[in-house]
Amino acid sequence: MMSKKRHLAGSNFSPAGRSGKGAGYYAGKVCINIVLWIFSLSCIFPLVWMFYSSLKLKRQFNADVISIPFGTATLQNYTDILNNPDYHLSESMWNSFRTTAISIILIVLFTFVVGYILARVRFRLNRPLYVMFLMGMLIPIHSLLVPMYVLFRNLGISNQWYTLLMPYVSFGLPMGIFLVEGYVKGIPISLEEAAAIDGSSFSRTLWSIIMPLCRPILVTVAIIQIFGCWNEFSFALVLIQNVHLQTVPLALTQFKGQFGSDYPLQMTAMLITMSPIVVLYFAFSNQIIKGMVAGAVKG
Amino acid sequence: MLDAIKPKRTTIWLYLLIPVALFVFSVFVPLLTAVYLSFFELKSGQTIYTAVFNGVDNYKALIADSIFWKSFWNNIYLVIVCIIGQIGLAFVFVLFANSKLAVGKAVHRTFGFFPSTISAVCIGLIWSIIFHSKYGLLNWFVVNVLGGTKQAWLGDANHVMLYVSIPLVWQYIGYYMVILFSAIAGIDQEIFESAEIDGANGFKKAIHITLPMIRPTMLVCLTLCIAGNMKAFDSIWTMTAGGPGYSSYVMALYGYTTSFQQSNLGYGSAISVGIFVLSLLVIGGSQAIVKRATRGLEG
Repeated sequence: MMSKKRHLAGSNFSPAGRSGKGAGYYAGKVCINIVLWIFSLSCIFPLVWMFYSSLKLKRQFNADVISIPFGTATLQNYTDILNNPDYHLSESMWNSFRTTAISIILIVLFTFVVGYILARVRFRLNRPLYVMFLMGMLIPIHSLLVPMYVLFRNLGISNQWYTLLMPYVSFGLPMGIFLVEGYVKGIPISLEEAAAIDGSSFSRTLWSIIMPLCRPILVTVAIIQIFGCWNEFSFALVLIQNVHLQTVPLALTQFKGQFGSDYPLQMTAMLITMSPIVVLYFAFSNQIIKGMVAGAVKG
Repeated sequence: MLDAIKPKRTTIWLYLLIPVALFVFSVFVPLLTAVYLSFFELKSGQTIYTAVFNGVDNYKALIADSIFWKSFWNNIYLVIVCIIGQIGLAFVFVLFANSKLAVGKAVHRTFGFFPSTISAVCIGLIWSIIFHSKYGLLNWFVVNVLGGTKQAWLGDANHVMLYVSIPLVWQYIGYYMVILFSAIAGIDQEIFESAEIDGANGFKKAIHITLPMIRPTMLVCLTLCIAGNMKAFDSIWTMTAGGPGYSSYVMALYGYTTSFQQSNLGYGSAISVGIFVLSLLVIGGSQAIVKRATRGLEG
């Protein structure tokens, strides 16, 4: 009984006498690891490929798409992209950075306040508001592109530095509110009661007692939205026509037209614009993975 | 006394005013605008003030519009391929990675999740280089490793949907892996141990223990996958822009080209409403089916 269990658990080495099972064990081990490693490496390979291809010139790349440019590596693509103002690369990165930063701050503030109020304060519109925000998660954004374009045009608020903040913050709210509401419900209410007895006002309790307690969930909300805002494409495509206001994904699609088939140059542009996200991801991957999954599963 | 939990009504509404107004303005106002505009003819040269009311003509046209329905079925195709590819493969990989034979579980988690943090535009651009008929990585592989001939992958009208769904599947396998990892980690290990004593092998354990135990998580994954693929747009837009012909059109892409490239905003609004209704029907319908099916299993 014991040996059978140990064998199935796969944690023991088979003695030489049972070489048949031992061979199966090793074959299984090799297969499983080959499949997994092929997959994992495929996920990281484009990054590596893009990196060393960005050090090649178009001519070298077209001659051989896979070779590593030992000795012939050049930073030409980087200097070309960063020095040519027609490419608007640093401009678009600044636009993305500003839009993302302001959106995150507003999303965190709003989700905290709304989530807390919906969790704790009793008033007639509490549940209707909660349902309204949750419905936002169900609405497919592509059904809002046309009307939003028409509305924003007619109100004169498309093609402004703040244009994208409105959809980004709005679509960031539902999941955030949902997460914060659930989190606040887990905090013992006696804390707020004690604060009230000590004479703390609603606002003071909110900002100086509850907010520090909610820090973990607010970090989760921020993580989810950083990636969402930095990568968002559809709203930017429809609401921003001014090249000086375009965000990174929009700039990249423009490059595709501009550069034609200069793939190393395109890859360089992608790599530069991806770099903040890549650094962020590999620096905090555990926290980021946890946060994104918490958002997906609870949301 | 309990001011902390029973604040003044004006205080609550001062806090709620901006987020609620912003949310209503950017989610519900556009939704109603879409419905309103869908009853008008609004083409290039017309403004919302000169738009011509044409009743349900747009909807009549939409129902008879073969491109719209082709796009819809392409969405459904994506949903099915991605359920099998993303969730199915993620489940297999997670079982592999969790077995005691696998080496480097943490690396698979970190590397596998990475593509899902990159913008769909970047993924689309990278894969259009991989698929490129002349300089693509895939053709390099086909010619130099498999000894075949070059293919025009994304130019093949009959198989283009399969090819554009590969990057989508690949991008999100790691995402679902991480969700499934955390679900499986929550299962009591003793169940597996007693199953092993009873002689269950890895495959039987997966089907009869793991799968039923993580059914709620699977339902979440399914919903995410369906909702995600009903709104597919960014990566297909960058890879094929719907081509060749209309063979890789999806609903969001058809809505975009109709509204913004053909400047037919009235009909585009009708398509938007169509996207809204069909997406909700598919998401709601699939949930009802899955719930009924799994209830049958339990009973």
